[in-house]
Amino acid sequence: MTDRTTHKPQLSFIGMLRRSLVHRRARSLSALVALTVSAAVATALLTLYADLNAKLHKEFRNFGANVVVTVPTSGSVLPPNALADIQKTAGSDALIAPFGYAVATTDRGTSVVVAGTDFGAVERLDSWWQLPHWPTAPDAALLGDRAANFIADEHAVKLTYAGRAITLAGAGRLKTGGDEDSRIYIPMPAFTKWTGIGPTVIEIQIPGGAAAVEAALTRLRAQFPALQIQPVRQLVEGESRIVDRTHSLMYGSVLLIALTVAVSVLATLSASVLERRRDFALMKALGGSQTQLMAMFLLEALVLALAGVVLGYIAGSAAAWGISQANFHTATLPRLSVLPLVLLLNVAIAALAAFFPVRVLRGLQPAALLKGE
Amino acid sequence: MFFRLLWESFRRQRRRKALAGLAILLGTTAVTAMLALATTIGDRIHKELAVYGANIVISPKADLLDVKIGGVDIKPSTGGSYLHESDLKKLQTIFWANNITGVSPEFSMAGRMLVRNTATGGPFDPHVIWHWNDLRMESPETFPVTATGYWFHHPFGQLVTGAPQLHPWWKLQGRWPVERSIPSIHAEEAQEIVLGSALAKRLGLKIGDWISMGKEIEGDIVGIVNTGDATDQQILYPLDALAPIPQFDTNGKQVGQVPIDISRVDVSARTKPEDAFARKDPDTLSPQQHEIWYCRPYANSIAYQIREAIPGAQAEQVRRVEQNEGNVLERISGLMWLISAAALLAAGFAVSAAMATAILERRAEIGLMRSLGASKGAIAFLFYAETGLLAIFAGTVGYLFGSGLAAWLGARIFAGDGAATVGPVLNPVLLPVVVALALIVAIAGSTPSIRTSLEMDPSAILRADA
Repeated sequence: MTDRTTHKPQLSFIGMLRRSLVHRRARSLSALVALTVSAAVATALLTLYADLNAKLHKEFRNFGANVVVTVPTSGSVLPPNALADIQKTAGSDALIAPFGYAVATTDRGTSVVVAGTDFGAVERLDSWWQLPHWPTAPDAALLGDRAANFIADEHAVKLTYAGRAITLAGAGRLKTGGDEDSRIYIPMPAFTKWTGIGPTVIEIQIPGGAAAVEAALTRLRAQFPALQIQPVRQLVEGESRIVDRTHSLMYGSVLLIALTVAVSVLATLSASVLERRRDFALMKALGGSQTQLMAMFLLEALVLALAGVVLGYIAGSAAAWGISQANFHTATLPRLSVLPLVLLLNVAIAALAAFFPVRVLRGLQPAALLKGE
Repeated sequence: MFFRLLWESFRRQRRRKALAGLAILLGTTAVTAMLALATTIGDRIHKELAVYGANIVISPKADLLDVKIGGVDIKPSTGGSYLHESDLKKLQTIFWANNITGVSPEFSMAGRMLVRNTATGGPFDPHVIWHWNDLRMESPETFPVTATGYWFHHPFGQLVTGAPQLHPWWKLQGRWPVERSIPSIHAEEAQEIVLGSALAKRLGLKIGDWISMGKEIEGDIVGIVNTGDATDQQILYPLDALAPIPQFDTNGKQVGQVPIDISRVDVSARTKPEDAFARKDPDTLSPQQHEIWYCRPYANSIAYQIREAIPGAQAEQVRRVEQNEGNVLERISGLMWLISAAALLAAGFAVSAAMATAILERRAEIGLMRSLGASKGAIAFLFYAETGLLAIFAGTVGYLFGSGLAAWLGARIFAGDGAATVGPVLNPVLLPVVVALALIVAIAGSTPSIRTSLEMDPSAILRADA
């Protein structure tokens, strides 16, 4: 056998492989397409799946603060530099908004809660606030929808706190459907200058799930034992539950679809290999050993599988990008980390598709086959 | 003859038919499961999102402003306007009444808690007294405590609803109070109450203890609730139970009484995520547009209908919950639909490839039939009939498998919170859809192979493939 191969180099392994792939072009092409589809589906789903948690957590960031830091007793204030320290402890990607509260009297003599805050921070933290535009003036006053009904002049808002009057430029009405509607929000510097009160509440949003919030809570509590630090429980719990469930749902879907495609591709490939009984018989009659023939079939399948992975990875990454762009309005970039798994899946399908028919063919007599039985 | 051919084809080529059938079966199973999950995902996620609490809040049209910081009333308002419990029935008459899934009215009463036994000067009296708005109690021995009346498990139309439903993050030890007066041990009247965990800790009280509420009412503690917010400092009692509360001046003279009414109602409703049309002011729309706006379950239109039904009420969507819930719901169900589409595409591809292979394998048969004089049309018809039968049969079985799989997956993933049971297991609308898809894909997949096989010269086929 070794002699034969050396004497006839044109029938080398590679040569046979090339001829087999080129000669039966339609058959090779359909096998390649099947393997490309399986690789593409696996790539798209795995890429989406790997990115899902980050995407969902990002959606949940819109719910606003998930940790609230308060100064426990009235009269005490936050330590100096508390904001910067909290930002450092909570992580640079945490959003932080300070609030200070005072009860003032409006020009109609009604008590109203006035809050000093940093509008730039609140804009990022509480995106659901409905207002004409975020105020920028140092003496702007954002009027809660209910509070505005107790103010005579909404353009020049006159408020009194402990006998000290102040006139602020009204910056429109704020609507949230919550406690904010009954308050007036003004910039923190103006608030402190007027009332002498600094921030007493800091709302923090820790990105990530319950574990990230828990870790940040532990760090914050260790560093600021004097402050009361509470998670907003419904947000933290709800987020974890929904992310976990969506995650499981995706996991189930990925398995289901991958299995379907794998079995269908396997069926198609096996059928096409089975059809090559005559090739098999001929090669066996010419003296090919069982191992050689199996290696031949296997190599052919593997070449197709690899080509399928390359094409499928490109197509699948594009599909994941498209789905992500359409649904989450942010792109999901191709992930190289899914490649090994896709490769493994495709090679396994191809190997099975080659092995399964060979086992069936092993029992056949080449002579009988060639005679056309 | 035709039927015999058809029958024999199924009987003799069992392996080939099984392979093609398996491909269709798996494809329809996956597609049915994905579609079944995608159609129910909205309801399921909505139920999960209920953890965020109410998305609509009803309050009395304000003639007084809340002065609340961090959930604590700084200046408790006396008097003012309230809603009446009888008004709540009107919620069942609005257009989208069936979309209301939970209602939780509340009435908060500011009061003071006496912690020191003034007679003995001791540090702590186990039978602490809580009084509502009694100016005589403003002394260093007391601290402010708000008592809030809630519904706990209260029948409301078809629903049994109340505060525990709308605040699913509350963690209760013990049980919720029953909403009726119970036999009294220590005073003339008794009422079951629940204490906030921080208040219970501060007072050193536990389940089974009692407090005195006013002179004649005994509050039996049946539960301690941990809420993680200002409610931890409060007394929770059944809204129905308390009689009108007398109000005193500093000299102990009764100056009237305040009826137990409702200061706020939390409503949880199934809503359609807000779009540009939902944000329009209904009063500026044309009558036809107004009608469309009114008949869509936006949070805004439900709030509008509540305002119409209950005069003196102000209903608003809770934007923090409503705006973001809509987003999350849209993203997750959008993802499911897109993945279903991907599944459909992949399954369609796999099935049509399998069908194409199945036909290609039978070229010899086609050649033989043609050489025996069968017309192209007759052969094509035979093959299409075979494919169709296979698609209908495997598609139906796949539909059953897929429905079962979706129900099982849904129950597993969304176990234990009521969201598991959404609709029946079999969705009859999906059956024709899925079988039609299977038919289309199978026929489309086999058409190119049938055509090329028919166009080939029968003698060439027969010679090439013995």
